[in-house]
Amino acid sequence: MDSAIFFNQLFAGLSTASILLMIAAGLAIIYGSMGVINLAHGEFVMLGAYATWALQTFFGLGMLISLPLVFVAIGAVGWLIEKGIVSRLYNRPLDTILATWGVGIVLQQAITLGIGSQSRFVQRPEIFDGNLFFGDLVISNYRLFILGVSLGMLLVTYLLLTRTEFGTKLRAVIQNREISECYGIRAERVYGLTFAYGAALAGIAGALVTPLISTTPTMGTTLVVDAFLVVIVGGVGSLVGTALASGLIGEASAMLSMIFNDTTGRILLLVAIILLIRFRPTGLIPQTVRG
Amino acid sequence: MLEARNLYSYYGKSVVLQDLNFDLEPGSMLAVLGRNGVGKTTLLRTIMGLTDRTKGDLFFSGEPLGDRRTDERAMMGIGYVPQGREVVPRFTVAENLKMGTFARKDGKRAIPDKVFDLFPILKEFSERRGGDLSGGQQQQLAIGRALAMNPKMLLLDEPTEGIQPNIVQEIEEVIQTLNVEHGLTIVLVEQNIDFARRACDRFLVMDKGQVVVSGRGEDLNDEIANKHLTF
Ligand SMILES: Nc1ncnc2c1ncn2[C@@H]1O[C@H](COP(=O)(O)OP(=O)(O)O)[C@@H](O)[C@H]1O
Ligand SMILES: [Mg+2]
Repeated sequence: MDSAIFFNQLFAGLSTASILLMIAAGLAIIYGSMGVINLAHGEFVMLGAYATWALQTFFGLGMLISLPLVFVAIGAVGWLIEKGIVSRLYNRPLDTILATWGVGIVLQQAITLGIGSQSRFVQRPEIFDGNLFFGDLVISNYRLFILGVSLGMLLVTYLLLTRTEFGTKLRAVIQNREISECYGIRAERVYGLTFAYGAALAGIAGALVTPLISTTPTMGTTLVVDAFLVVIVGGVGSLVGTALASGLIGEASAMLSMIFNDTTGRILLLVAIILLIRFRPTGLIPQTVRG
Repeated sequence: MLEARNLYSYYGKSVVLQDLNFDLEPGSMLAVLGRNGVGKTTLLRTIMGLTDRTKGDLFFSGEPLGDRRTDERAMMGIGYVPQGREVVPRFTVAENLKMGTFARKDGKRAIPDKVFDLFPILKEFSERRGGDLSGGQQQQLAIGRALAMNPKMLLLDEPTEGIQPNIVQEIEEVIQTLNVEHGLTIVLVEQNIDFARRACDRFLVMDKGQVVVSGRGEDLNDEIANKHLTF
């Protein structure tokens, strides 16, 4: 095999991984904070993509300007869904799974009915057209941009959780909701904002991915399956684990698909993950101190 | 400061507190006594709004608490030190104390000096995790956390339960200091009758969710103890 193809694939895998990372970080934060397995998460990605498309098509806004708007808009959608539906179902994990699944279907159908099921395309920002060349190695500027934004968002998330008062409140609520409320923390609000933040991350991921894959109402599904795998492999509650796992899964799926084909690649990836879970059930980097 | 009128409290369908009536003067200390399972903890949890439902009236500083959320009651100045301490295990001592300040009305986040004056060990151990402290140290941290919010009233649930004897005395002294010197209003759930008699202005003895005897601290005699508090 040509080594340039290998390295190009490696880099493509890295940018896919970084998108997965944002989706998975959102899922993990929502699950780690309120124990909710959010099956509507893929639809937040999809909505982020459509929002970017709509801003570009109807308002002529480029992606760079759209990113913060998408962040706020999808965050608001997440917040509303948490307030309207999810918050009524805490302590009923099975019901939240079903409810978020239902929300996902509704969102998909709403987009299909309102906008149609045909693929939509979004232009990447012009300043990221072109490639960087290192000998035989070709790195697309846009993929480099994706990598930068994702890592930036991961850093922001880390700082939010560890360095801000909101982060302290969230970590308090995760460990002991009752005592947190006894110290003035409004747990419901913390939950709502956390859910919104996780949704907003998914929205950003959706916006970033639009120039690379076609935007359709079902686009979130595949991405979110990989993101779930990332969370399982990485270990819930560990940003480092999530980052490592999205790297591994993004790369493994890029490599395996290159060596075999897409389907065989995915099957092999799943087998590898099942083996890993068999031997490390709590993920790559489990929480070491019990709550 | 705290008034209960025909107060009932429920977990699900079962009634745990029945028809409680009591008053607590500002600056005074009320001891709540009784055998295990009679509803002492439930009384404090009811004051914090942690039971499923209540009936009757509860007033704090003249304001009805009935429909207030737990976090609002905290913001009103009620500091709660629960049974079993419930220090946040993966938080450092410093973070646990900071958490106390979240219930401050003035929005300040500095830990009041008196916390470290009363419990110097909390300064020394400030970077240790709450979960790694001994029981006695956790109790000091739990009280420190409540003091960090500058409470108007402190609820203490068996603060000396399961704690090594040398620290028990230290904690009892702090409780008296807070009440006498700092003028803090305190509700103290206690098994140690001698300490309750020494420290409290008034007491109430509970049985099966009701108040069976109440009176002034010095009237807490052996007869009451034998009848309602021994096993
Ligand atoms: N969360 C709860 N749900 C249902 N019943 C409870 C709960 N907590 C306590 N109880 C019941 O309420 C009664 C009083 O308990 P508690 O207030 O903890 O007593 P004490 O603190 O005096 O030992 C007990 O009969 C107990 O079984
Ligand atoms: Mg108790």
